[in-house]
Amino acid sequence: MAAAIIEEISEFLQKGRAKNVKKLVEEALAQGIDAQEILNEGLLSGMMIVGGKFKRNEVFVPEVLVAARAMNAGVAILEPHLVAAGNEPMGKAVIGTVKGDLHDIGKNLVAMMMKAAGFEVYDLGVDVEAETFVEKAEEVGADVIGMSALLTTTMPNMQSVIDALNAKGVREKYIVMIGGAPVTESFKEQIGADYYTADATSAAEVAKAAVEAKKA
Amino acid sequence: MNSIERFYATVNREPVDRPAAWLGMPDIHAQPALFAHYGVKDFHELKLAVGDDFYAVEIPYQSPNSSAIYAAFDWYMDGNVDAEERTLTTPGCFAEAEEPEDLEFFEWPDPAKYIDVEECRRRVEMAPKDKVCLGVIWSAHFQDTCASFGMENALMNMIANPEIYEAVDAKIMEFYLKANEIFYEATKGRLNAVLIGNDMGSQRGLILSPDMVRRFIIPGCKKLVEQAHSYGLKVIYHSCGSIADVIPDLIEAGVDIIHPIQALAAGMEPKGLKEKYGDQVSFCGGVDTQDLLVNGSPEDVRLKVRELRSIFPTGLIISPSHEAILPDIPPQNIEALFDEAQKPGKTSLV
Ligand code: B12
Repeated sequence: MAAAIIEEISEFLQKGRAKNVKKLVEEALAQGIDAQEILNEGLLSGMMIVGGKFKRNEVFVPEVLVAARAMNAGVAILEPHLVAAGNEPMGKAVIGTVKGDLHDIGKNLVAMMMKAAGFEVYDLGVDVEAETFVEKAEEVGADVIGMSALLTTTMPNMQSVIDALNAKGVREKYIVMIGGAPVTESFKEQIGADYYTADATSAAEVAKAAVEAKKA
Repeated sequence: MNSIERFYATVNREPVDRPAAWLGMPDIHAQPALFAHYGVKDFHELKLAVGDDFYAVEIPYQSPNSSAIYAAFDWYMDGNVDAEERTLTTPGCFAEAEEPEDLEFFEWPDPAKYIDVEECRRRVEMAPKDKVCLGVIWSAHFQDTCASFGMENALMNMIANPEIYEAVDAKIMEFYLKANEIFYEATKGRLNAVLIGNDMGSQRGLILSPDMVRRFIIPGCKKLVEQAHSYGLKVIYHSCGSIADVIPDLIEAGVDIIHPIQALAAGMEPKGLKEKYGDQVSFCGGVDTQDLLVNGSPEDVRLKVRELRSIFPTGLIISPSHEAILPDIPPQNIEALFDEAQKPGKTSLV
């Protein structure tokens, strides 16, 4: 019985049907299903399915956005239950678009997929100063710092963040990830970041694996 | 051949003495270094100094809150439509709109009030008679509709409430068709081509599915193309990013030239495009601005131009893969691009 309703939640989520997801999450709770199970098996796994299709160019940005909206609608209902049960996120990620750059569609998708992978995400927005990345990461005790840049003219500002981490002597505390249209694996090497990925789903997968490896 | 003859030959994919080349619209921050390099004092002089085949003009637009037609709509209702701050994702005034009635409060600008017909004429008269006079008019109805809701809301509406999306798009199309008509009437006989378009590509593929492009973008494209063609103008259609999957749709909509072949985006390799579509449409762009023009040497740029010339003996206007040249591109590389494009005759790679 439990499996059926959770499967339905996942399916409605994949179609981006927020209202149906909300209703079914409430029903599942009423049936006494554990909030964590609804979250992981219904919402987050449904979102990762959409993410997988996005990565393979089977669906595009609009489909991911409506799915994420449905995911958030479900999570909002579960939240009080999760807090009450003292559930911990799998990790914390601070992400933003670097100084001088206003492109945020890709960065927002990375934030959504990181949430789907179980991260608590702190989104700093666009045009973010190097110091702001560092301060926020230190403040929340982040595991991952994610930076987005879509312009060749703002890519160097990723280096500034890494320099600021080094200057503070905290570089080793963080898994530093970078991405955005002009960013490449070799640029990652050049500036000394840890991971580059070409899409948001891979970003979430890599972040999760890296955090698990670090905590193990 | 003069620039105009070369341009029409390129559009018709007939032999050219050498490829046409277009500088694009350098970003305001990139202009000082270019002016200094070419020893000129303004953009007008720069266009002449680089040896451009084109002379680009924009539609003059002056409303109480905007001095650019691509920023005509006050979506944030704060009187500030400064292009620098228009990021498309900021929720616009239709963010919460669900029904057509929810759009009624908005004051749609009347282009007739804000386009100065005399100024339209003056601008095209600035173009040397032997250059291709190109109206850079955008008419970016998809991007504007995105801004009106906030881009994420707009893309979600395409799935959850397509009617509201289409209602806004229709109003925006009405505005542009009227604005363009004023411009085309005023500049009759002086304009050769227009650049219109919408950014619908990312580095890896389309931002929205090919089906959605067909439903929400191509119909507007068709209307704009028909209007331009009715004035005898050739149409260059712009979209950044990887748009390979909808090139057949743009061709069917009547587009003459596809811009800017963002060379490093997935599926946009010049060779493949030439093989697949080279006998149906022409292209403009191809000289990569994401790495080559920024990090390469003038010699690297020359090599690329030679390669492009050998792939496209005709049917390609050589140009940077983004019209807004940024300040990180050394002017020497722009000079190399034009110099190599302007060498007469057939080129070979060696
Ligand atoms: C949409 C767009 C815009 C919109 C931005 C809307 C917004 N709020 O984001 C607007 C119109 C505002 C815009 C403005 C400009 N743009 Co623009 N833009 C684009 C375009 C067409 C698509 C970007 C996009 O949204 N893609 C969709 C998302 C989903 O993809 P994504 O961002 O790449 O993100 C994915 C991955 O990269 C990755 N990822 C992203 N971030 C991160 C972070 C981490 C940590 C990881 C791991 C992964 C990751 O995951 C994401 C999802 O899968 C690109 C073309 C392109 N090739 O990308 C040009 C492009 C980026 N723009 C360009 C330019 C030049 C500009 C302007 C300078 C133009 C101008 N003169 O006004 C301005 C700059 C404004 C500024 N200061 O930032 C050029 C840059 C060229 C260069 N030299 O680098 C591009 C490449 C176009 C081109 N033809 O060359 N732009």
